[in-house]
Amino acid sequence: MAGGGVVVMLILIAVFADVLSPYTYTKTNFGRLNEAPSRDYPLGTDQLGRDMLSRMIYGARVSMIVGLGAQVIVVLIGVPIGALSGYLGGRVDLFLTRFVDVMYAFPRLLFVILVMSALGAGLLNIFIAIGLTGWVGIARQTRAQVLSIKEKEFVEGARALGAGFRRLLFRHVLPNALTPIVVAVTFGIPEAIFTEAALSFIGVGINPPTPSWGQMVGEGQQYLRSSWHLCVFPSIAIAITMLSFTFLGDGVRDALDPKLK
Amino acid sequence: MNTPRVSDRQLALLEHRLAAGGLGRRDFLRIAAGLATMSAAGFNARSVSAAPKLGPGEKLAREQHLRWGGGGNWQQDPASHDFNKDLYCTGVPALFAGLMRFNADFQAVPDIAEKISTNADGSVWTFVVRKDSRWSDNGPCTARDFEWSWKRQLDPATAAPYASFLYDIKNGEAFNKKQITDAREVGVRTKDDWTLEVTLEGPRGYFPVLAAYLAAFPAHRAAVEKYGDKWTEAANIVSNGAFALEAWEHNKFMVLRKNKHYWRAKDTTLEKVTIPIIPIAAGAIPYDNNELDMTLLQVADLRRFQSNPKTEKEAFRFPYPGTWYLLPQVTKPPFDNIKVRRAVAHAVDRENVVKVSQGFAIPAHSMIPPGFPGAVDDPKIRAIQKFDPKLAMAQLKGTPFDGGRNWPRIVLSMRDEALGAKSLAEAVQAVLLEHLNMKTELEVLEQRVFRERLWKQDLQFVWIRWFMDYPDPHNEYFDTFYGKKTTGKRQAWVNDAFDKELEGGRDTRDQKKRLAHYAKAEELMQTDVGYVPVAWVSRWAAAKNHVRGVEKNKQGEFVIDGNIYRDMLSNIYITEKA
Repeated sequence: MAGGGVVVMLILIAVFADVLSPYTYTKTNFGRLNEAPSRDYPLGTDQLGRDMLSRMIYGARVSMIVGLGAQVIVVLIGVPIGALSGYLGGRVDLFLTRFVDVMYAFPRLLFVILVMSALGAGLLNIFIAIGLTGWVGIARQTRAQVLSIKEKEFVEGARALGAGFRRLLFRHVLPNALTPIVVAVTFGIPEAIFTEAALSFIGVGINPPTPSWGQMVGEGQQYLRSSWHLCVFPSIAIAITMLSFTFLGDGVRDALDPKLK
Repeated sequence: MNTPRVSDRQLALLEHRLAAGGLGRRDFLRIAAGLATMSAAGFNARSVSAAPKLGPGEKLAREQHLRWGGGGNWQQDPASHDFNKDLYCTGVPALFAGLMRFNADFQAVPDIAEKISTNADGSVWTFVVRKDSRWSDNGPCTARDFEWSWKRQLDPATAAPYASFLYDIKNGEAFNKKQITDAREVGVRTKDDWTLEVTLEGPRGYFPVLAAYLAAFPAHRAAVEKYGDKWTEAANIVSNGAFALEAWEHNKFMVLRKNKHYWRAKDTTLEKVTIPIIPIAAGAIPYDNNELDMTLLQVADLRRFQSNPKTEKEAFRFPYPGTWYLLPQVTKPPFDNIKVRRAVAHAVDRENVVKVSQGFAIPAHSMIPPGFPGAVDDPKIRAIQKFDPKLAMAQLKGTPFDGGRNWPRIVLSMRDEALGAKSLAEAVQAVLLEHLNMKTELEVLEQRVFRERLWKQDLQFVWIRWFMDYPDPHNEYFDTFYGKKTTGKRQAWVNDAFDKELEGGRDTRDQKKRLAHYAKAEELMQTDVGYVPVAWVSRWAAAKNHVRGVEKNKQGEFVIDGNIYRDMLSNIYITEKA
């Protein structure tokens, strides 16, 4: 529940960033660089004299967009492939499962970095990179679900009643396979957020001046010994976000999975 | 003696020599500049030896021990200290002494040689070696050692990678390329133990400069013959410089001990130098922990130093001439419009932008930093691109971007590098947004990709620097912006009048007229906004308060050891409270 509360709050912050932040994220003050937290700047200023609080609020927007947006791509690729693979079986299944296995074998972060280097930095490219690598887990989950559900009596019944391929898959099989997919998506969001943070940290994520937590940590880490606030606050933000989404995921799983009750 | 005039043809040859020896133009014309500014005393000029100056309540420390390195110095274990075989062995130059050396103004002055003379056209040079010149084992270091060493470098059997450095010596090239096999035909011979006569391929007024470079260091014959490639290990090495190698724990540290047999030993105060081998990522931490007395500083370190009154005084700037500037690509919209370029030029708030560099940059209004030949400080030129937000906005009237609207996507590209490059670029982005409402994306490219695209003039808007290779405006303008350049051209911008001024500067002998050409070139380039100068680079090192004696150049700036000047350790001394 606490996780859900924080997530809702983060989403609200992301949506109302323009209203909430005391400054725009590009507003610089060259007279006050790297200042520690003060009344004017509750979380201090960065190396260009920009308000850290405002940048973190806008950073939440980037994180949320990446987290949710990437999951949309992941679902759009992963679910159809998993469903087809499980439902059709045979050679299609063999081919798709091997393909999924191959994708699974790539070290994820390295593959994402490779894709980003090829496409260049930018929000859209982050979607593509995370989407291209993130769908395999969901595809496997969906396939496993579909495999077991398609043997169930009610599916047999529907088939006996003359339901076609499309009707069977979309009206009978998939809705019943939804629970684990929803859980997987909830866990996928923080993973995507973290991937974006990692990419921005190493400098292949979001282009400045758009703020991103990972980028803020990356730029601040070299000044850790002189201006601790530059990377401590965004790090805390990333940690809280990861934790609350993980709690939320646990909650969703508990709520939806009757076996655990 | 009178110094033979070094003609332009000879200078070109010298450059060719050094380039063939793998030495960049940067180093070359630093040396050439030393040649040009040489005093009337010629190559026999003496440098004043700096005796320790002690303040009240101070005395020389009992233990004259300097721990020096870090911040980028000796990040990796040296390959060897055999400069005679490989001038890029990354060893410690202070271990050796050549016939000549460079002073803090990069002029060649005698070291092991006590007298240098030449025939009328400068094709035969005679070096008289000091009779008190000795190796660290107390054996005499004679003219024969130099003859043997230089022939060793030229001998194809040695396989010295940069042997072409000595190709000015008669038959040196032929011998190195196996066209002749008799080393006696090479133009280096000893008249007696103390006189070295060098016959060259032709007139080479600059030869003493070559003799001062570290590739002309001698090697110790007996040690080389006994130990082969292992002769520079601490247990085997015999050297002739101000310091001797006492210990070398590979990948850990090196310990130098004052060579009491070196002829200037009485002027050297330092007894022991420890050089740890530490990665650049360690920053100034070893210095903070009192494991180093002197170190180079990176941006984050300097900031920390300056925020503490105790360490603030320990940091000092040293010359590292370089210029940060913006290149608006004139072939790419919106910068194909001169009004947009002018708007950008007036919108760059240089005073504020450099603040983010925390001392690693100062505001620039032209290409050449102050104190270097060709630096312009003309109010007329300063006014061309002066920061004025109203004027900047006014430029946009009548363009599609009036009032800072309708900007297309603009990507500012830079290469991945240190020295606070990214903070500066972000500050530039910030001022352009503030004063022109011009939103730019910053793209940090890998070095190789950046250069490839830069040279195709494929980048729309570039954040870039030029490090001066040698102190002459030819380098800052011709080598950088000349429109008819065929390789390594950074900008699509071309201006015939500008090119003509550069050609004028190149082809004129009179220094005053030359500088006038370059000042005019700067004016033309700024008016046409071929570039937007933003900041001049500065670099920093730190030394504890007890470290004294670091030399200053004519501009009054401290000079740090490099591959040209390498006299720093001989001048340093350590003090303590009396």
